Amino acid sequence: MSQTDEYRFQVNLGGMIDILANHLYSSPRVFIREVLQNATDAITARKELGETAAESKSFEGKVTVELSGSGEQQVLMIQDNGIGLTEEDIHRFLSIIGQSSKKGTDLLASETSFIGRFGIGLLSCFMVSDEIVVLTRSVQEGVSMEWRGKPDGTYTIRRLETELPVGTQIYLRCKPGSEFYYEPAQVEESLFYYGALLPYPVMLSVDGGTKRVNLPSTSWMQDPEQLRSRRSEVLDLGYRLMGERFGDFIPLRTASGRTGGIAFILPRSINLNSKRLHRVYLKHMLVSDKAENVLPEWAFFIKSLIWTDELQPTASREYFYENEQLDGVRSELGTCIRQELLRMAEYEPDRLQHWIRLHELSMKALAVEDDEFLRIMHRWFSFESTFGRRELSELIREAGGRPLHYTSTVDEYRQITHVAAAQSMLVINGGYIYDTEILEKLHWIDPALQTERLSPEDVSMSFTGLTQEEREQYYSVLRVMDVALQPMRCRTELKRFEPASLPVLYTISQDALTLRSMENTVEETTALFSNVLDSLKAGVQQNAGYSTLYFNLNNPVVARILEATDTLMITAATEMMYVNALMMGHYPMNRSELGLMNRSVLHFINWGLGNGQNT
Amino acid sequence: MEDTIYDLMEQAQDLPGGAAKLAILEEAARLADASGLKELAYEVRGEIVDCAIFNGYPLKALIAFSWQLGQFDQKPDEYDEQELLWTYKWILGKVCSFPNIPKAQVENLVEDMRKRYAEYGYNERPYHYYKFRIAMDMGRLDEARQYLDTFRTIERDSMSDCEACEQSQIVRFYYLTGEDEQALAVAKPILSGRMTCAEVPHVTLSQVLLPLYRQGEADKAKDHHRNGYRLVRDDRDFLKTIAEHIEYLAVADPVKGIEVVERHLHMALDYESGLEQMYFYAAMVGLLQRLDTSGKSRLVRLPASLEWGKEERTLTEIIAYFRPLAESAAAAFDRRNGNTFYTNWIGEIVQTP
Repeated sequence: MSQTDEYRFQVNLGGMIDILANHLYSSPRVFIREVLQNATDAITARKELGETAAESKSFEGKVTVELSGSGEQQVLMIQDNGIGLTEEDIHRFLSIIGQSSKKGTDLLASETSFIGRFGIGLLSCFMVSDEIVVLTRSVQEGVSMEWRGKPDGTYTIRRLETELPVGTQIYLRCKPGSEFYYEPAQVEESLFYYGALLPYPVMLSVDGGTKRVNLPSTSWMQDPEQLRSRRSEVLDLGYRLMGERFGDFIPLRTASGRTGGIAFILPRSINLNSKRLHRVYLKHMLVSDKAENVLPEWAFFIKSLIWTDELQPTASREYFYENEQLDGVRSELGTCIRQELLRMAEYEPDRLQHWIRLHELSMKALAVEDDEFLRIMHRWFSFESTFGRRELSELIREAGGRPLHYTSTVDEYRQITHVAAAQSMLVINGGYIYDTEILEKLHWIDPALQTERLSPEDVSMSFTGLTQEEREQYYSVLRVMDVALQPMRCRTELKRFEPASLPVLYTISQDALTLRSMENTVEETTALFSNVLDSLKAGVQQNAGYSTLYFNLNNPVVARILEATDTLMITAATEMMYVNALMMGHYPMNRSELGLMNRSVLHFINWGLGNGQNT
Repeated sequence: MEDTIYDLMEQAQDLPGGAAKLAILEEAARLADASGLKELAYEVRGEIVDCAIFNGYPLKALIAFSWQLGQFDQKPDEYDEQELLWTYKWILGKVCSFPNIPKAQVENLVEDMRKRYAEYGYNERPYHYYKFRIAMDMGRLDEARQYLDTFRTIERDSMSDCEACEQSQIVRFYYLTGEDEQALAVAKPILSGRMTCAEVPHVTLSQVLLPLYRQGEADKAKDHHRNGYRLVRDDRDFLKTIAEHIEYLAVADPVKGIEVVERHLHMALDYESGLEQMYFYAAMVGLLQRLDTSGKSRLVRLPASLEWGKEERTLTEIIAYFRPLAESAAAAFDRRNGNTFYTNWIGEIVQTP
């Protein structure tokens, strides 16, 4: 009873081509890549045959591209002298979509040699042509064949009477609307773009003139060290291929020699977040100019040209699969760059310094990861300090054997910078990315390099305390001041410090700062969230402590406040100093602080208008 | 002043997420507050939430978000509700990490989110999904199992977490319950690369290591460790994931684990969320205990930011220093959560002498 009919999917080739053109390929010009790839595969196959069979080893591959006709009569012909296709090959590769020359067990199948998928690649030609004609003669069979395919999926095959040279010729007639892709300049540009590193001549002939399009010699690909002696040539190449004028480069090579490259050092500083777009050639053909993951992340000051025969591209051909192979290659290439920088440190410090100045962030990122690198490079890294922006070696000299002091946030640095500078105290701002990490690692690479994290409170330790007499003299005033600021969880201290022009110094710990912002937010948020913040406050409060307002007795105004006797006056002045310190430090004020300010301003106006009766 | 604030925001944009970026954004927020530029302050706080939540500063994120929400409720027409409601979920994903927030308040927050989503026409999938996640965070796995069953029956809408995120949380559930086979089965679409997002497979790879290892698939576990660790090692957001890698290395390759501990300890020391910190300390103690602790000093390089670590310390001392920190944190969580989940968990990964 049960009967199953078996059907086959009907694939609409026109629809598929549309999908290829609009979705898979980024631009119709990739048809050039596909035909170049087929040609390369065919040449490789013929070479390999030459090694096994008796064919002469002197075989030289060659691809010729010819443009003829004009307008809609334009024809583009690509000819290679590769292995050619037998009748059976034609049936297998050109007539069944999805069949790749990679499968099977014959010569065309050896994994290491080929990049293309003949059948599919050829389909891309339908994006620019309504008919594909393939003429071919296999080195093995000697029969000359013609294949004509149309985008509706029909094709014809016939044997030719004439005898073709061994190899394959593909004829593409310009499809209306595709004239752009047939312009000689465009074709030349595309051939160079995809095939610049092909190891055999790629010739373009237009109007009887013929010229070589790709690089005349790529012998250095075998041994990138050769590049060192061909500096200007390499930099020119960088300009032609990467569109940028570089000033320096580092040759790259893995131990196996299967991956090599040129790491061009970017002549300008670059944003840490910018994409790393490397140009990668797989088996001599361009795979991607957007490969991000071939170099380690810290190498963002490098734009590289990489060639490889061992990595596996993803389907979109813009990245490589993250596998152990890639991991290994990436770290080996990273080692080349690192070694070169270390070499520069030893022999060409000026050159290195130049690059560090431009790409310091990148170098610091590497140093954080790599102790050996840090050991060699740290002296050239620069840091912001109370002595200005200086190289670490200088800062170490200044510190004269004492520990290097640093703050771990920009905030803390800002709080103490005036005071520390006025006292000629060396403090490094470790608030920028990587800086604290580097400073904290220093003692691992050299035990003599001690660093000490400084908090604003620590700076006050160097202030001059009061004498016993002064202490007694100002005792009652200080109590008034303390009472005034107590509601703000701020205590006052009286010291002498430089600069004298600074009346007060407000210091607050990170935890107290967080607490402040929580309290200010409680005023601004919903009831539910203010409850949550209140719960969290408990935890923060433990560590937060009080902020401190240091009054500088060296400051004339402060000295006058301390001479005052009117409690209200002292209170108002203290409050004003506090509010002023907050404003100078860009600390937003909460409601009670704003109230404080209003009150004291009014007091002062009042006093001012009262003809100085309170002074 | 506005120009200065925009300058700061631009500066921040050029930096990768982290303390330096936050410091600049906070400066911008302070300036905006001080000059009464509310809308700009709101915008800056959006950036702070974004940066803080994904770089290990959940407290800063919570504070900034609270401020935004208060502002939004005063003038709902001035701001984009979609962005705010979306961010709300990030906050819920972190609230359990603070043991000081009582359970009732956490629950009130989820209900508040539910109400707000309903008000703007979104469905309850995120509500049940976050109940599921919070139950996991609190070690209430039976409850979590129930919410797992409910959230999946509700259709996805534009407020739902992405497919990959949801799937990764399901993996996490089976990882927590120790149902290895289930965990691996659910992880499949993630491991195959079919489901990905900004945090997946990052958080999942660390959770298949022990299940794979226990099933005798040591090589696969090793591969996933390598790939997974690479994805998270430079990102403070993933401290818990890194702790899971350490937990695995404690079993599979303790010596290599030391490197990982050394690399991240300074991060853990300076972490705003107690939960992640506890995970890290516990995993680290478990790992160090597996090494030869017989009197050797300085097998672990302690970061300079740790005052206590400036002298030579033996492994035994290091263990003795960090173990109580992890245990008291676990106790605090258990008190809040009303169970003994974390205490038990620590009991399993550290050895009792």
